[in-house]
Amino acid sequence: MTATVITGLAPILVYFWPAPPKGQKKGPINVALQTPVDQLQDGDAVKFDAPRNPNSAFIMADGGGDNAPGELAFGGFVVKNQGKVNVFAINCSHLGCSVALAKAAPGHPEASFDCPCHGSRFRLDGSVLHGPAAYPLSHLSWKQGPNPSEIEVEGIVLGF
Amino acid sequence: MAIPHPRDIQVAVVDWLDERYPFTKAVDEALYQRVPNFANAFYYCFGGMVFILIVFQLLTGVLLAMYYIPDATGNPAPAYNSVLFIQNDVYLGWLIRGVHFWSANLLIIMVLLHMARVYWTGSYRAPRELNWIVGVLMLLIVLFLSLTGYLLPWDTKAYFATEVTIKIAGSAPPAWLGAAIREVLQGGPVVGPPTLQRFFTLHVFVLPAVIVLLMYVHFRFIRAHGISEPL
Repeated sequence: MTATVITGLAPILVYFWPAPPKGQKKGPINVALQTPVDQLQDGDAVKFDAPRNPNSAFIMADGGGDNAPGELAFGGFVVKNQGKVNVFAINCSHLGCSVALAKAAPGHPEASFDCPCHGSRFRLDGSVLHGPAAYPLSHLSWKQGPNPSEIEVEGIVLGF
Repeated sequence: MAIPHPRDIQVAVVDWLDERYPFTKAVDEALYQRVPNFANAFYYCFGGMVFILIVFQLLTGVLLAMYYIPDATGNPAPAYNSVLFIQNDVYLGWLIRGVHFWSANLLIIMVLLHMARVYWTGSYRAPRELNWIVGVLMLLIVLFLSLTGYLLPWDTKAYFATEVTIKIAGSAPPAWLGAAIREVLQGGPVVGPPTLQRFFTLHVFVLPAVIVLLMYVHFRFIRAHGISEPL
């Protein structure tokens, strides 16, 4: 009886587990930047989106809260801060909204990535400046592409 | 030969049927029930209103399914375009979709009112506990129908609402279990075409069948117990 139930149910449960679509594969994704990395001013950031054709996403290298290593992001920032270049996933570590760069201005003394949803703020090095986010922005693994305006970001072609 | 009176033909057909199965008796038993006076209050109608709204949902849902395309590939996706087509081009499409939409909203309200009435009149007490349990199951199915139906227009609101709900479902501990639930609900690493396919299947094939079955059980229980007397 038990064996019958198990042999009957197991294939159904296995069937529910999603198979990756044909054409889905992980690997570096070539991204063209509006501002080449070597022309980025200190304290400046350039936003980029995951390519739509083929439909792709980036894979977070680290992260806490809503983000986690292996989670997907559909955009990111290349940011130059004190001479160091970092690439962050666009998602706030609180609940995943897209953050945006807000430059230093009157009433906003420090440049930061601000989240429009619940007001979290992150310093340009990714660390938390203001809650409710409790974890820093997630890094994306990347390397310089064949020319300065291109980078290769670790990601996945979704296959649909 | 005399031409038979229509009434005689009717009687002959019914007699022929009744000799094979007691249809008349079954219909009489189903229809001719005395309703006690205390059950004439308006708040005893909420359950019936839920029933009528679910019938509306089944009818308008079948009509919508004739034009809806459960395909989320591309931008704009056929799913979204087909909803626009229903809304703007199909004759009275706006009406059928409107009835489906508003009945779904009213359904939740009426289900909760019905549940509140059952609570206040104490109708959940022995020997009717099983019917309360069946009712709670149907409440969950109605909520799950709302959840799966919300994704089907495949617009921004639908997409991100589902993103949030799947995220909530995926936060179940321990972490590997939550991740597995999320993967199975999404049908992949992100909310995408496979998610729409899964939600569509649940919304159209699985959940309506289950809720119709449970409604039958619910009504048989009511007939078996009779309407509960007021406290």
